[in-house]
Amino acid sequence: MKKELKFKVNGQPYDIFVEPKKLLVEVLRDLVGLTGTKRGCNSSSCGACTVMLNGMAVKSCSVLALQANGAEVVTVEGLATGNKLSPLQKAFLDHGAYQCGFCTPGMLMSSTALLAENPKPTKQQMKEGIDGNICRCTGYNSIIRAVTAVVKGEYKEAK
Amino acid sequence: MSEYSVIGKRVHNVDGTEKVTGSAKYTFDVVMPNMLYGKILRSPYPHANILKIDTRRAKRLVGVKAVVTGKDTLGRKQGIWRRFPELCDEEILCRAKVRYIGDAVAAVAAIDEDTAEEALDLIDVEYEPLPAVFDPMDAIKEGAPQIHEGVELNININRHIEWGDVDEAFEKCDHIREDKFKCSSQAHVCMETHDAVASFGHNGKLEAWTSSQSSYYIQRLYADMLDMNESDIRVHNRHTGGGFGSKFELDSAQFCAAILSQKLCRPVKIVLTREEEFTATKRRTPMYYFLKLGAKKDGTMLAKEVRVITEGGAYTAMGATALYLTGFFSSFPYKYPNYRYDGYRVYTNTATTSAMRGFGAPQSTFVGESQLDMMADDLGIDPVELRRKNGMTPNYEVPGQAFIQSCGLHQCLDKIEEHIKKQGKLPPNHGIGVSAYGFMSGGIFNWFNTPYAFSAALVRINIDGKVDVYTGACDMGQGSNTTLSMICAEELGVRLEDVRIFSGDTGICPPDLGAWGSRQTLMSGNAVKRAAAECKQQLIEFAAAKMGANIVYDLDIKDRWVHLVDRPERGVSYFDIVKETIRGKDGVAIMGRGHYTPHRKGMISPAYSFGVQAAEVEVDPETGRYKLVNVTTAHESGTVINPLGIEGQLEGAIMMAGGYGFCEDQPMDEGKILNPSIADYKLIRSLDMPETDILEIDTYEPEGPFGAKEAGEGLTNPTAGAIGNAVYKAVGVRIYDLPITPEKVLKALKEKEKQTKKAKK
Amino acid sequence: MIKDFEHFAPKTLKEALALLAKYGDDCKVICGGQSLLILMRQGLVAPKYMVDIKGISELNYIKDEKDGLKIGATTTHRAIEKSPVIKKKYPVLVEMETRLASIQTRNWGTIGGNICHGDPAGDPVPVLIALNATLTVAGAKGKRSMPVENFSLDYFEVDLKDGELLTEIQIPVPPPRTSTVYTKFNIIESDLATVSVAASVTLGSGDGVCQNVRIALGAAAPMAIRAKKAEKVLKGKKITEALLSEAGEVAATETEPISDIAASEEYRRELVKVLVPRMTKEALARAKKA
Ligand SMILES: Cc1cc2nc3c(=O)[nH]c(=O)nc-3n(C[C@H](O)[C@H](O)[C@H](O)COP(=O)(O)OP(=O)(O)OC[C@H]3O[C@@H](n4cnc5c(N)ncnc54)[C@H](O)[C@@H]3O)c2cc1C
Ligand code: FES
Ligand code: FES
Repeated sequence: MKKELKFKVNGQPYDIFVEPKKLLVEVLRDLVGLTGTKRGCNSSSCGACTVMLNGMAVKSCSVLALQANGAEVVTVEGLATGNKLSPLQKAFLDHGAYQCGFCTPGMLMSSTALLAENPKPTKQQMKEGIDGNICRCTGYNSIIRAVTAVVKGEYKEAK
Repeated sequence: MSEYSVIGKRVHNVDGTEKVTGSAKYTFDVVMPNMLYGKILRSPYPHANILKIDTRRAKRLVGVKAVVTGKDTLGRKQGIWRRFPELCDEEILCRAKVRYIGDAVAAVAAIDEDTAEEALDLIDVEYEPLPAVFDPMDAIKEGAPQIHEGVELNININRHIEWGDVDEAFEKCDHIREDKFKCSSQAHVCMETHDAVASFGHNGKLEAWTSSQSSYYIQRLYADMLDMNESDIRVHNRHTGGGFGSKFELDSAQFCAAILSQKLCRPVKIVLTREEEFTATKRRTPMYYFLKLGAKKDGTMLAKEVRVITEGGAYTAMGATALYLTGFFSSFPYKYPNYRYDGYRVYTNTATTSAMRGFGAPQSTFVGESQLDMMADDLGIDPVELRRKNGMTPNYEVPGQAFIQSCGLHQCLDKIEEHIKKQGKLPPNHGIGVSAYGFMSGGIFNWFNTPYAFSAALVRINIDGKVDVYTGACDMGQGSNTTLSMICAEELGVRLEDVRIFSGDTGICPPDLGAWGSRQTLMSGNAVKRAAAECKQQLIEFAAAKMGANIVYDLDIKDRWVHLVDRPERGVSYFDIVKETIRGKDGVAIMGRGHYTPHRKGMISPAYSFGVQAAEVEVDPETGRYKLVNVTTAHESGTVINPLGIEGQLEGAIMMAGGYGFCEDQPMDEGKILNPSIADYKLIRSLDMPETDILEIDTYEPEGPFGAKEAGEGLTNPTAGAIGNAVYKAVGVRIYDLPITPEKVLKALKEKEKQTKKAKK
Repeated sequence: MIKDFEHFAPKTLKEALALLAKYGDDCKVICGGQSLLILMRQGLVAPKYMVDIKGISELNYIKDEKDGLKIGATTTHRAIEKSPVIKKKYPVLVEMETRLASIQTRNWGTIGGNICHGDPAGDPVPVLIALNATLTVAGAKGKRSMPVENFSLDYFEVDLKDGELLTEIQIPVPPPRTSTVYTKFNIIESDLATVSVAASVTLGSGDGVCQNVRIALGAAAPMAIRAKKAEKVLKGKKITEALLSEAGEVAATETEPISDIAASEEYRRELVKVLVPRMTKEALARAKKA
């Protein structure tokens, strides 16, 4: 039996009915229609499905959609403000922190959550921040450089 | 200073903003009206006859729209070595026999994925299990189960390469080493799994969206398998979530989606699960390596003999190429005057092995560079010195095989030597290992039997001066759309933002073999450059007439300024010239065509890139656990088109190649892959990633566009060897089989301890 | 594919226990779902009813009380990792948590779920054994408590009767001059343990004698175990290198490791031999400073 799910995605309230077995990633992609969030393993191991749930990074393939009831979800589509990219998005561009781009939404959500929690992370903390996310293309170091640039304030005006 | 205005700039990829905002659409994201979802039933047996498939129960499930088996296909066999029909051996949907755990036997289309999956359980397949064989060393034995009819001793292909007089040369050697190695398998682990949406219309034409490295190959192989005209098939390449060699053969998602859609005339989408991706797509070829190397006392290498037996898995795929290339690159990057290679690819009842980034060369580089270090030890010569003594140089001919024009190997060796010296005395249990490599910039082989040029491009300049590039090249993340746009902008004298690229859509782009063998920068790049040059010529002709310049002047375009080369201040706006040229051409947009097929460039590749890598490890001698501390690479790839792109290729390669050396493996039990998930298949993550440094070496490749050559796959070659050599330097043990796990290191250390004790007694 | 189920989200422990009593065998508890959903997707678990306890706030707490630390079962890993009081008084828990899975998993997964999952390679249980923790479970018939080392019974099997929930973890105040340390051995930093070792050492006052020691091993047997014989080797003695390595050898005999894709049985024993002395020594050094 479907149950009601009331939550906000990128600030927009939704009130929908979902089967209890639906995972957050499925609801976001198939029902809300935001396909920026990817799925690389469906078993909590790759991080491609990372979104922010009440400000925390979680793997949306491993959260029952109903557990997001009443919550605020932010997906990669919610990072830019209008036509303005977020500092991290800009830094990812400038530092080549993506290649095929499939892991990128998840990487951005993990790093955004990291900086929201701790605006001055050490390099080690940055690495921990994205350790739940696999990238088969970049080798991670460019992502760390991008996050570092934001931490150093190089993208202040972009805010 | 560079004379270029676009090339050599650090720019972000042309599709970057889409990728960082989540708006980039992959095949995974494609949704169409009336679309169904497909799932594939796979064999649980490594080797079995299919006696009967009963699909009735599945068909009755509410929501199921079609169930197909091999009987619904034309029963053709496909393979990418189309020139050799006996090597086209894969039905994809098996009719009579399955040959590995994961072979497809049926497919379902239903209203959603869950229903399709449920239906799979309702398909009853009766198998007659057959004796199976998993190790190529067993499969070539007399009496082993025969996997393909008529293939004796399961030998799929053998390759022989030889020059000089190897036997005579060994006689003259002061020292000879013989060593055995084993290279493991590796999974590509593209973050986007194989997927496809196939849509047949009632007009009998097929349109497909798929994550692939070569739209043209998929189009052509579809045509073969479905008995259709190529032109009635349109393959789109959206953004592709990684390829690494796994996505240019027709796969089960593509084929089954098409067969289902053909029945229903509705779009059918199939996305392989991660488990299918691990078990039922292709993978890196495991190899047994037998090496014999002979040298003079002074370190001159006189002869090398290489024998290789590879685990082919169930089908040929691109394995034949891997077999050849591992043999060719076993001679790299050295000038062996005498060389002999014999390779055998053997069918086994395991998942098919095929192309993966580096294509046989990571294996040959691991074994070759390990052995070279042992030789250096034996002879008491510094490993870098030994490499220098024998390393390739510019304008070197690999006897009868290949001609190497640009080569910066020696500069790379110098840089790495300097780097090692700079580290000074290392702390205890640290070691730095060196590994040198080379790789091709696209293959010259045409086993695919394409009648087309290897690369082709169309360039069109519109009335507003903006430029459209059409190319069959495929961007799977390596950034070819950016590289090709930059080449076009540079050639035409416009800015990068003036160029828009359409790639990998067979409906509108000229055919190109696609992204494999590191061919796109050089081959597709040359095609784009020529197409742009053709456009430019038209503009210049018109401008020359208009400007009334003295006939002795040459014209050029740079940064949107059409001018006299010797008097750059004399010129006109590019935009004005475009408008007027189009008017002068009776309103026809300016078009240029370009193509490239290597001719008279030997048998392998038109150009080669080189490099040397140094890896530093820190070993815990009590547990064998080691850390990758730093990987520094001196590397040359001709003119660097986009430095940001090369850095990315290099660091990404280290994640993958480091993984090959350090942790990635696909252990099996009776043909069953034991770790088909990202949780169990160990991948280097950010905390495990070493520091990486790049030492760029300048070279210029005459055959490449603006002097560029490959910088993608070659970088995957050195790391496993460098790690092996570093572990040896650190604690004095040599590991002969990949991956170099802590457990193996500890075992070797204990063995060494035992030997030392024995020796003391 | 996850099979359909009915979902209940009780707000109190009482409601949850009532639901569990009502649906009995057909029902399964879900908290963060980080482990459970994987099993459900593989079809290994397919309950008709799910009692979702993630939202029960009365079970989500960290309390620093006179007799020790109390952690509610639905407390997330991340909350433990970031708790200032835990960082100050039980730093080993923070060290353990920062190496458990990824931040995403720690943000949603819970300590209670982890313990009830019963994975012998899990990180919290060995540490809790070394810290001499107890667990409380509640059922329709009331509560019962037990030392954490008695809770795990076998591979993925714990001492929970039908209708019972784990509610609380209690960690006593460590005696003076005590230090507890933990390490996990693996190849990929954030991966599950190939083998893990927790050691807690209490020094006698002034004499440098090891008054008490607790050694726990993860991934070395069907469940996390205490290496009691190894403890005996050290207890009440002045610790020397020879004793340490003897403890390692003895600990290895107490294990029952398996061979799997991560490591062979022999290698796991070798690791125990190396890591038990190493960790005990580390705990000793820290206890001296404490
Ligand atoms: C990718 C990945 C990596 C991981 N790495 C590690 C690691 O390195 N170390 C480690 O220790 N763990 C690791 N884990 C395991 C995981 O972190 C924990 O097991 C998880 O936190 C469990 O908490 P949960 O709330 O999500 O439990 P759930 O998944 O919701 O439940 C797990 C089990 O416990 C039962 N349960 C939950 N709460 C209660 C309760 N209060 N009373 C009774 N039964 C209950 C459920 O019925 C279920 O059987 C990893 C998991 C993943 C997915
Ligand atoms: S899809 Fe969720 S972690 Fe991989
Ligand atoms: S950019 Fe391709 S996986 Fe990260």
